[in-house]
Amino acid sequence: MSAGNRLTASSPAGSIYDLGYRHYEGKRHGRWYAAWSLYVESLRGVWGFGRPMSAKAAPFILAGLYSFFAFLQLAFSSTLASEISSGQQVQLFAYDSYFTTFSLLLVLFCVAQAPEVVCRDQRYQVLSLYFTRAIGRADYALARVASLSTALFLALIVPMIALFVGDVLMKPDTISAIGDELPKALPAIPADLLIAASMASISLALSSYSPRRAYSAIGLIAYFLLMEAVPAIIYAVANHGGWSSADKLVLLTPITSLTGATDWFFGKALTSDYPATLGPAAYVLACLVSVGVFSAILLFRYRRIAA
Amino acid sequence: MTAQTIPAADQAVAPPVIELANAARWYGNVVAVNDVSFSLGAGVTGLLGPNGAGKTTLLHMLAGFLAPSAGTVHVLGRSPHRDPSVYRQIGLVPERESAYAFLTGYEYVRFNARLQGMRNADSAARAAIERVGLEDAADRAIGTYSKGMRQRAKVAGALVHDPQVLLLDEPFNGMDPRQRLSMMDLLGEMAAAGRTILFSSHILEEVERIGTEILVLVSGRLAASGDFRAIRALMTDRPHSITIRSSDDRRLATTLMADPAVFAVELKENALSVQTAHLSAFRRIIAVAGRTAGVRLMEVVPADESLESVFDYLVRR
Amino acid sequence: MTGPLVAFPEIVRLTLRQQLGRRRTLLLVLLAALPPLLALVYRAFGEVDVSGFTDSVFEPVSLTIVLPLATVLFGTGAFGAENDEGTILYLLAKPISRWVIVAAKAFAAVALSLVLTVASVLVAGAIEVVPAGSDGVSATEAYVGAMVVGSLCYVTLFLTLSLFTRRALVLGIGYSLVWEGALSSLLPGIANLSVRQYALGAADSFYQLHTEAARLSPTTALTLSAILIVVALALATWRLMRFELSGSTD
Repeated sequence: MSAGNRLTASSPAGSIYDLGYRHYEGKRHGRWYAAWSLYVESLRGVWGFGRPMSAKAAPFILAGLYSFFAFLQLAFSSTLASEISSGQQVQLFAYDSYFTTFSLLLVLFCVAQAPEVVCRDQRYQVLSLYFTRAIGRADYALARVASLSTALFLALIVPMIALFVGDVLMKPDTISAIGDELPKALPAIPADLLIAASMASISLALSSYSPRRAYSAIGLIAYFLLMEAVPAIIYAVANHGGWSSADKLVLLTPITSLTGATDWFFGKALTSDYPATLGPAAYVLACLVSVGVFSAILLFRYRRIAA
Repeated sequence: MTAQTIPAADQAVAPPVIELANAARWYGNVVAVNDVSFSLGAGVTGLLGPNGAGKTTLLHMLAGFLAPSAGTVHVLGRSPHRDPSVYRQIGLVPERESAYAFLTGYEYVRFNARLQGMRNADSAARAAIERVGLEDAADRAIGTYSKGMRQRAKVAGALVHDPQVLLLDEPFNGMDPRQRLSMMDLLGEMAAAGRTILFSSHILEEVERIGTEILVLVSGRLAASGDFRAIRALMTDRPHSITIRSSDDRRLATTLMADPAVFAVELKENALSVQTAHLSAFRRIIAVAGRTAGVRLMEVVPADESLESVFDYLVRR
Repeated sequence: MTGPLVAFPEIVRLTLRQQLGRRRTLLLVLLAALPPLLALVYRAFGEVDVSGFTDSVFEPVSLTIVLPLATVLFGTGAFGAENDEGTILYLLAKPISRWVIVAAKAFAAVALSLVLTVASVLVAGAIEVVPAGSDGVSATEAYVGAMVVGSLCYVTLFLTLSLFTRRALVLGIGYSLVWEGALSSLLPGIANLSVRQYALGAADSFYQLHTEAARLSPTTALTLSAILIVVALALATWRLMRFELSGSTD
């Protein structure tokens, strides 16, 4: 592009020359594109992409450990298959109990990564750069929570796929095995969606209250640990003291209510330590409510934050 | 320590306070400081260089926070690396690190004084605060200070124990002109009292004002050291440029062109710009030329004796 | 060189002021107030049950949640701010022996952690188990002992860790939850490397604990704790001595 001596403005006393910088007069993507871009960037950030190598350690190690046992089972599927066919009782990991067993690792994943998602922008006070663009405060919050949910969903679904492949390989006839196993495995998808949304909304809502990663992480782990332990303790005491309706307290727990909800998706009876006065459906409801409540907290936080 | 003014001529007699011999520092393939040797005694020296030249690395080596990869670094006769006792005689003002925001200015300086083992920490802190001009704000938290005030608090903390050596990394960052002047006066006073002061900067006017001794670092190498005017005189492969105003520039120009000491003359709006390779010879002939041409000389100014042009030349070499 | 008697209290004072920032203290006090609150719940239902409270609150909440979180926060926070902001220069550029700096920081962090966790156990114990008699008193003593040993060990461990890595906090939490929690039940040998077991071992000398509990004898526990503390502090001192700054932006 030649600068030439094109004038953009001129008067007897002075002139301004057009240096040929291109103006952009084309179509601009709107809000959805901005939100989508933030979502993608955020998702990459959760897994440490676009950041130094050390940032990939925590998420991959934790998610890897979570999947590890499923892959272990997959790797040994041939050995296990022969043991099963010879009639031996073999303890396997199952779709419906996998999360219950290994949920701690995903809690650690959230504690490690949720602060990474929301604390950086607050710490360096760049939120105003976001909010003065097409993306609004609500979009920002929703994009962030969607990205962590997606990341968690990926972490959750990979072992399910590994278990599925393992289970299919253990059976002699592949096509009928798929037909058998698929209905058993499919409930994992909506269950994992709920788990991902729930853990992500809780983690981000709580983490967004501090610009420092350390405090967010501590607050988050304190919440997960205490909200599991304390209702159980109060329930035990209250139950012993004759207050049987104390079992409703379980609906306040983040992880136990999720394990109860997965029972509903898989159509099983409740496996939790709490009594079965509340059917699994109540757990699902509680989880959905928690997604709503914590998302609202997150949105509220970002509506009110000074930028 | 007795406060004495050590005249420049005697510096060779007193042992150098700071001495580097072929000091180098590299990180993997990147050489931050490359074969630097110099020695400093009492007085103020400016460390100049573009960004990335290695000034901060050099200062960190002098402060004992980096070991040289090669060569030696000696402060007060010993290596400062891993020798905490040397800090009794060194004051350090780092560039980025801000002081504890929750302490008041006075508390921060007193903290430094106490950690230096001073018995009269309270009075020393008050004195240091006054020296940098922070008395009014001394009882407010440093977090409420402006940038210039924070710098001054850092300086107060670094000189409260009256160290023999003061190392400052970009000390004038964030200071307004008046604060800068008083800081320069302070450093000048300390130097006159026999302290060795090394500060890094890339604002040349500051350096020109305080002291004439400079060290120029370019890409990790020492490009020049000493008095910048002397350095300029040594730059013989570049002609000096002199601006002259006279009553008749054109006549003067023709006369000057005839002289072998001059190799270029340029007529400008209201002045004459003369290029000469031999400054001393030119000095001898200019008055004569004026008389010969019958022209009155009103102004004869060396146009590029500034530190800026020296620096410019050294950096581009 | 500045004598330790002067430098030590000065650094301790500074660290205490640094750590007692308003929001942080409030949240930790809330955390420490939980066991007493639970004790109140117990009393509200008319329960004065030493072994039950010990198994349900002292062990799973005080020892497994309050202690690790408080010590992680204070332990990594001792050098935390200085690490983040680079103000560690101001401590290191002083004629003070490195071990004095480490000792002072550790002392301050341990003190904060101790006060919080011990008060929490004492108040909870006073409400719930002490009224039950000497059994309750022993249980409280046991867990006070556990908090003391635990604070000393955890804080020095996390303090040292924070000098070696930027992710000390997450690692500390992971250590406490995964290594000491989940893995410990799978692999018994881990008990030798678990601060929680040291604390439980120390507690065991006061009171017979019921749960899976102490696998180390009190002597073993205390010896291993002492070794841990000494090694951690030595490593921290070594690290500070070898401290090097990069050339930053320049």
